[in-house]
Amino acid sequence: MRVSLKWLSELIDVDLNVAALCDRLDMTGTKVEAVHATGAALDGVVVGQVLVKEPHPEADKLSYCTVDVGTDEPCSIVCGASNFKAGDKIPVALIGATLPNGMTIKRVKLRGLVSVGMMCSPTELAVGGDASGLLILPGDAPVGVPFGSYYGLSDTIIELEVTPNRPDCLSMAGVAREIGAVTGRPFRTPASVPDEDGTPAADLVSVRIEDPALCLRYTARIIRGVKVGPSPEWLVQRITAAGARPINNVVDVTNYILYELGQPLHAFDLATVGMAEGKSAIIVRTAREGERLTTLDGQERVLATDTLVIADPDGPVALAGVMGGEATEVSEKTVDVLLESACFDTSTTSRTSRRLGLISEASLRFERGVDPELATRAADRAAQLLAEVSGGTVAPGIVDVYPAPPVPLVLRLRGDRLREIVGAQIADDEAATILSALGMGLVPAEDGFDVTVPTFRPDVEREIDLIEEVVRVWGMERVPSTFPGGRERVGALTIAQRRDLVVGRALRAAGLDEHIGYAFADPRDMERLGWELGPDEVPVELINPMSEEQAVMRWTLAAGLLRVVSHNQRRGVSDVHIYELGNVFVTAAGRKQPKERLMAGGVLTGAWQRPAWNESARPLDFFDGKGAVEVLFAELGLDKVTFRASEHPWLQSGRSADVIVRGDVVGWIGEVAPQVLDAYGATGPVTLFELGVKPLGKAGNVERGYAEIPRYPAVNLDIALVVEESVTAGQLMQAMASAGGKLLDDVRLFDVYRDPDDASAEQRRLPVGKKSLAFSLSYRSNERTLTDEDVRPVHEKLVVKVCRATGGEIRG
Amino acid sequence: MGIAEELSALRSKALAAVEMADSLDTLESVRIAYLGKKGSLTAVLRGLGALSAEERPVVGQLSNEVRATVEAALADKRRSLQATARASRIAAEVVDVTLPGRVRMPGKSHVIHQVVDEIVETFVGLGYQVAEGPEVELDYYNFTALNHPPDHPARALQDTFYVRDLSGERAVVEGESDVLLRTHTSPVQVHIMETQKPPIYVLAPGKVFRRDVADPSHLPQFTQIEGLVVDEGITFGDLKGTLEHFVKRMFGEDRRVRLRPHFFPFTEPSAEVDVSCGICGGEGCRSCGGEGWLEILGCGMVDPKVFGHVGIDPERYTGFAFGMGAERIAALKYGIPDLRLFIEGDTRFLHQF
Ligand SMILES: [Zn+2]
Repeated sequence: MRVSLKWLSELIDVDLNVAALCDRLDMTGTKVEAVHATGAALDGVVVGQVLVKEPHPEADKLSYCTVDVGTDEPCSIVCGASNFKAGDKIPVALIGATLPNGMTIKRVKLRGLVSVGMMCSPTELAVGGDASGLLILPGDAPVGVPFGSYYGLSDTIIELEVTPNRPDCLSMAGVAREIGAVTGRPFRTPASVPDEDGTPAADLVSVRIEDPALCLRYTARIIRGVKVGPSPEWLVQRITAAGARPINNVVDVTNYILYELGQPLHAFDLATVGMAEGKSAIIVRTAREGERLTTLDGQERVLATDTLVIADPDGPVALAGVMGGEATEVSEKTVDVLLESACFDTSTTSRTSRRLGLISEASLRFERGVDPELATRAADRAAQLLAEVSGGTVAPGIVDVYPAPPVPLVLRLRGDRLREIVGAQIADDEAATILSALGMGLVPAEDGFDVTVPTFRPDVEREIDLIEEVVRVWGMERVPSTFPGGRERVGALTIAQRRDLVVGRALRAAGLDEHIGYAFADPRDMERLGWELGPDEVPVELINPMSEEQAVMRWTLAAGLLRVVSHNQRRGVSDVHIYELGNVFVTAAGRKQPKERLMAGGVLTGAWQRPAWNESARPLDFFDGKGAVEVLFAELGLDKVTFRASEHPWLQSGRSADVIVRGDVVGWIGEVAPQVLDAYGATGPVTLFELGVKPLGKAGNVERGYAEIPRYPAVNLDIALVVEESVTAGQLMQAMASAGGKLLDDVRLFDVYRDPDDASAEQRRLPVGKKSLAFSLSYRSNERTLTDEDVRPVHEKLVVKVCRATGGEIRG
Repeated sequence: MGIAEELSALRSKALAAVEMADSLDTLESVRIAYLGKKGSLTAVLRGLGALSAEERPVVGQLSNEVRATVEAALADKRRSLQATARASRIAAEVVDVTLPGRVRMPGKSHVIHQVVDEIVETFVGLGYQVAEGPEVELDYYNFTALNHPPDHPARALQDTFYVRDLSGERAVVEGESDVLLRTHTSPVQVHIMETQKPPIYVLAPGKVFRRDVADPSHLPQFTQIEGLVVDEGITFGDLKGTLEHFVKRMFGEDRRVRLRPHFFPFTEPSAEVDVSCGICGGEGCRSCGGEGWLEILGCGMVDPKVFGHVGIDPERYTGFAFGMGAERIAALKYGIPDLRLFIEGDTRFLHQF
């Protein structure tokens, strides 16, 4: 809402400067979004007087003038206009002035004569009026004074953020009332009594409302014999200040009243409205199936059956509260005007305007709620104003259909309740003063007041709304700051929440940075990854996505993580090691809300760090990812985790595994398949993993017990086992664990050896198709220091068992 | 030459040899040459047995003296040689301490989660618990139970993401579906009040979604932190005191806080909370748009209509709620000019915090 302070001064005498007024408005709930001074654009334009006007010796259409602009020396100006004579007062733009159209005045030579300024037309100054000649000012205009201040252009506009619950503040009168209440000053309500003459309106027009729930009130006034033309200067200034463009005097008056009182009006050309029983007939009804209307913007619109229209006996002529129709528009030919001042239902207006994409100053007010009591007052004032500016005559009377005037709401405000909720000692009479200033009626009651709510405050429905009104005007800044005093509360995270924190902490400790990505995914990720959802599972589809790339909810973190890799690689960042903790979504036929699963995903590519003077940058691979996952498991207190080779379409065959905890697959890890890297524009190797946080948490144990620190030294023995390629390290370690007995404390794999592919027969150290794995085994007892004699038989037995179980041999 | 002279000559020779030794190895060979199993001093001592009973104690004492003297000289020399060797090793091991260390940086928590964690910690300290809710919500929890009228503009398809409802149910409110991506964390309030009796002191952080094109100051997905308190005797002053404490802890004790009346459908009275600009201190500058204040959160007293939806008696209990955007707080706190940085995953950004 744009508020011109010049206009406002007609409605209220504010005794605060602009900054203090804005501050007060901010602190009482009407935020000032911006303040601008207007008229400043006309800096450098002054009132001048033509002293001499001579024809230009070289050009017929130009004249050469000497102009007094209030300086010691008059200046010479070459001018192309012809509607002036010596002695006329005119606006002069001096060198350096910038006009509203962006033109900057410079010293120029026109056909040989120097011109050091420009005499201006109304259009050049954007003040409205005839464009064909100079703006001739009254003879008493003081030469040399800035044109803006002389002409009354200087103004301050404050832009207010009016919250949706305050439709009453969408007018100058409402803003004046609000300022009156928050500053304790009286305000004036604009009103007019029209001079009426001729045939009564009731004999010229009839009004019928079909559904009073959709149209609370409809009034019509008739103004006859108008001459449609440009508006007077003061009217143009007012509506321009409010943000509208001047159109013609009839439309400008309706806009003026909209801004002044908050009542949207519509003017019909009376002659174009269809008749019934000898009168122009207005019917307010919903549109019928298939009805069409060409609106003021020239568009033909097919109307939905819940659209409220103004119709005549032949069909719709306007969209109620949203936009008029082209056929009944006021034009230069218009003689008689039918002026509509009505109150339409909020939701109906809002639905229609949104559906048709037509949001106007009128629809904005109707959808928030217009005071039905305002209709006649606005119609009276508009009719009188219209008659004044267009030379018309107001027909006597008003046709007013008002099926069910609202009964004013009476609410009890309890003084103690007010103080209990606010937590401040606000006296009853302070509250009463505030509410009265806001236009409420008060009658004392035993525990407070009975408050009558005016119809322009539809937002005030309950006692709490009155409390809100009191506290915002009384001053939130005056409320003492306290803490809740509740006794029964303990602040703590739950075990599950602490576990989720452990997941992040562990992955960070493993060297991964946290990322938060979009929960959206591209439906084509399904194909890019070669992903298949579980039986009956489908992705969660958005009805109104922002783009095709974000049209579904992600069902895996994988795609987003790959996009981050490619985002970084495209920017020259090759070392990427990140994790994300976030929900993935899937749904199924018959489900309303999808399943949300919290996942931990990670991606690693490049190296942990750049190559250094004493360390090379080792490329990250599968085992770096696996290591990070193992850190996570350790931190979660998860033992008995196995990695089982598995195939997934998005992972490279032979470098991928399922992660199994207590028999359940809880996730996967692997290096990304080359075609998937291509699909995401990423360069490999890239290791990716994704784990379900819930199942990990369930199996893990963040709480730890104490295990005794070993008191006796271990006996360490190394063995190298030669086995078939198909035998895995996991199988060997499994075999050792089961064969080792209780003395075997730890098994550590420290070497894997294969003959190079190109090794000659002499160079070969192993039989073809075999590999050698070297382990360090620690034997330890908790009771004593073990000797070789204790260990040897156990170890020998272990070797035999492991070799038998895995087909291995001890390497010589 | 008598044995005594022989011993004395050996001593001189041995001491000279010790003195001459220029390395620990040479010194060791000197030791072996004199005191080893086949050493010359050892040989003399071995010959003591051949002496007469009178000579033996005298020569024995002398030879022990010689041995002790040589051993002491050896020990001295060894210490000195060791010291020299250590000194030269130290000299050889001098490093350029300005060479970079071997670093393996731990991973970083996302700056948004750092902010969330800090806020959570503040409120847990005030006796709050932490709660979560689904990101894909029902219209009822996101709007209806929070007192949004059926035609509230926030429900429009252009503002809220809707999700295909596969249940076959018809949308109750408008459009094709009552299932949506939550537009705020406030629905968690309703879930909590449905399942928990007062006193309630809860903080609910989480992702929220709005149909905004990603640009420097908007994201279609961001992070909100919701607070809810329901108890007997909760006042607007309690809300004010709590938020002032929070803001000062988050932004610094020297910052001022103001509550400005505002409107939200699910609180009454409602307010927006501003913190004084950290750059100009409230005078007004470019970063605060000349206002001197930065808006950081919305809050208010729980509207009795919301209590009505969850069956809490508004005459017995009152409460307050507040909500804030973590991205906005992080952007203000760290001066981040473009919110898209939070979600793109550029590791050069992630590493900064
Ligand atoms: Zn500032």
